Amino acid sequence: MSVDPMRSQNSAKQFYSPADLSEVDYASDLGDPGSYPFTRGRRASLDRGRGWILRELSGEGPPARSNAQFRRLIDIGASGLDVIGDAPTFACFDPDHPMAHNGVGTQGVSLCRRQDFLELYDGIPIDRVTLSHSVQGWFGVAAVYLVARARGVAPEVLRGSVLQMPLYGEDYSYAVHMPVELRLRLALDSIEFCTREMPRFHSFLEDTYFVSDGGPDAVEEMTLGFVEIRKVVRGLLARGLDIDRFAPRIAILVNCRMNFFEEVAKIRATRRLFARMMREEFGAKDPRSWSVNITAHTAGSALTAQQPINNVVRGTSQALALAMAGVQAMEISTFDEAYRPPSHEAHVVALRTQQIIGLETGVTGVVDPLGGSYYVERLTNEMEGKIREAVGRIEAMGDPADLAARGFFRSLLERAMVERAREVEDGTVPRVGVNVFSMPEEEDRLLREVAETKVEPCWDHVERIREFKRSRDMGRLGGALRALLEAGKNREQSLMPAIIAAFEAEATLGEVAGMLRLAYGAAYDPFGAMTPPLDGGSLDARASA
Amino acid sequence: MRPPRVLIAILGFDGHETGALAAASILRNSGMEVIYLGRFASPETIAASARDESADVVGVSCHSWEYRYSVDELLRRLVEGGARIPLVLGGSILTRSDEELLLGKGVAAVFGAGASSREIVETVRRLAAEHRESAAAAAS
Repeated sequence: MSVDPMRSQNSAKQFYSPADLSEVDYASDLGDPGSYPFTRGRRASLDRGRGWILRELSGEGPPARSNAQFRRLIDIGASGLDVIGDAPTFACFDPDHPMAHNGVGTQGVSLCRRQDFLELYDGIPIDRVTLSHSVQGWFGVAAVYLVARARGVAPEVLRGSVLQMPLYGEDYSYAVHMPVELRLRLALDSIEFCTREMPRFHSFLEDTYFVSDGGPDAVEEMTLGFVEIRKVVRGLLARGLDIDRFAPRIAILVNCRMNFFEEVAKIRATRRLFARMMREEFGAKDPRSWSVNITAHTAGSALTAQQPINNVVRGTSQALALAMAGVQAMEISTFDEAYRPPSHEAHVVALRTQQIIGLETGVTGVVDPLGGSYYVERLTNEMEGKIREAVGRIEAMGDPADLAARGFFRSLLERAMVERAREVEDGTVPRVGVNVFSMPEEEDRLLREVAETKVEPCWDHVERIREFKRSRDMGRLGGALRALLEAGKNREQSLMPAIIAAFEAEATLGEVAGMLRLAYGAAYDPFGAMTPPLDGGSLDARASA
Repeated sequence: MRPPRVLIAILGFDGHETGALAAASILRNSGMEVIYLGRFASPETIAASARDESADVVGVSCHSWEYRYSVDELLRRLVEGGARIPLVLGGSILTRSDEELLLGKGVAAVFGAGASSREIVETVRRLAAEHRESAAAAAS
């Protein structure tokens, strides 16, 4: 793309004054916290020190090792869990896939079947702890639903979330090798399923973190987020769903970079934009539909491999911004981020950071402490205006699903990633310890040992999965997979019942994803290594819909 | 003389692409030709593409530890049927001790977190020139 429809310039002044508030009307633009348009916060009160859910992203090795990690996190004060799948899990391939082999359990936990989730949540009070899932949305919904049923817990009491990333996942980090039409259908089907079966669960967590970390700036981040939210909302409305059935369970997982006030303003602007969009444009009547739940991760891309201890300071500053902006949950990217998934030591520091901000600083004693600041209100207005304008420009270019299929978002993300890397390289953006105040490597030893410890792939788990696959009732499995293929070809029905039935019949993630690809005329395995586990391999691996 | 040709790839299912894209951009801006193979590559596909595309240097961007288990195979495949195409690895996860180990195995260069654009460009340019010389010598 030669023209950038989203690039914004900040008009930074030396100081701000009452003139900057002249266009702000308290009642219509701000309102008290807990009231429309929710600029100042979703609720009027915050329980001190427990104002947000304290979480840290975790997941490593086979499910049992992640389970032990969960228990340790809860022991040291985590009030929610966020499990991240390893790279093969995100891409929807099984551990025994030859491409997966050396990445099983290294960047997250390996999850591919119902049994894995039972082991993952073994002994965890799933009716009380919120369960966030950084895996493909439909997979997380099916899995947590099956765990609840197996444990005798009513699925309707489950709280937590799954990511939905139908437009951008393929372009950045989370590719599943499925056409956008199928990705959108899976998002809509899983969200619709939850309105009936898991009404307290946030089945639509718009993840603007992953799409923006290392690339898009704050305005671009939220622009992409709103484009995707609006596309999914319109899809659900087109199915005849009432907006107030699903809107209260939309949440946004935002990024928090180093620019303190810009990130605070972004979150405040996002709440206002969302409220106005829901009430004025989509006609939502329930106030819970207007006030979006915001959760945040501090930016991993802001962290450096050099002088890892400095990342503790970065995490503290970012978390403080989030506490002052007001979020429903937060996770701090840990000091060892540049090297590895979080170590236990790094988890402890990150949770302690959240606890110190929550309990010792006093910033959580009042809601929206920055409200009314000349600067912050001006910035909030500017961010809102820029995001709204950019969303309009993109939507004017065509259906976002077509834009995704044509590679529009991919080129935008590529350019942003290259630009961010260049800014650090050429010093446009100062990065302490990297392009300013660097230190000779032999002196830079603090926390190095923890940060540089590597996680080995769990090959014994690969072997377990191979044995599991050989031990299954192939007749039952084949029946469930064929039914899934038929459900996939029939574009009118929900995929969730057939997906759940397949996992109950001991299908794996790779097999379920493969059948879905087949139903949409794509290859069962885009890398040509696996075939469907059906008698005599009777389905051609490229059978089309 | 035509500019150096560099192939850039990421191993396995790792989706982190910022480093690979940034490296591709740096090399392109310095006048080199970049063949961007990108994500979802294996030692086999990298070696095949490097040969098909007559790459002078192969660069693998590492955000995960896939390289620890694939580098031997990759080095072996890059030498099949003639002079070995030089292999360079880059990524913030690569530590000083990784570098020693990898250079010992036959990796031509390792760029960790502190590597500058200039260092990357100069090293890749030198490796490409050396490879062309040795390939020409092997052919004559």
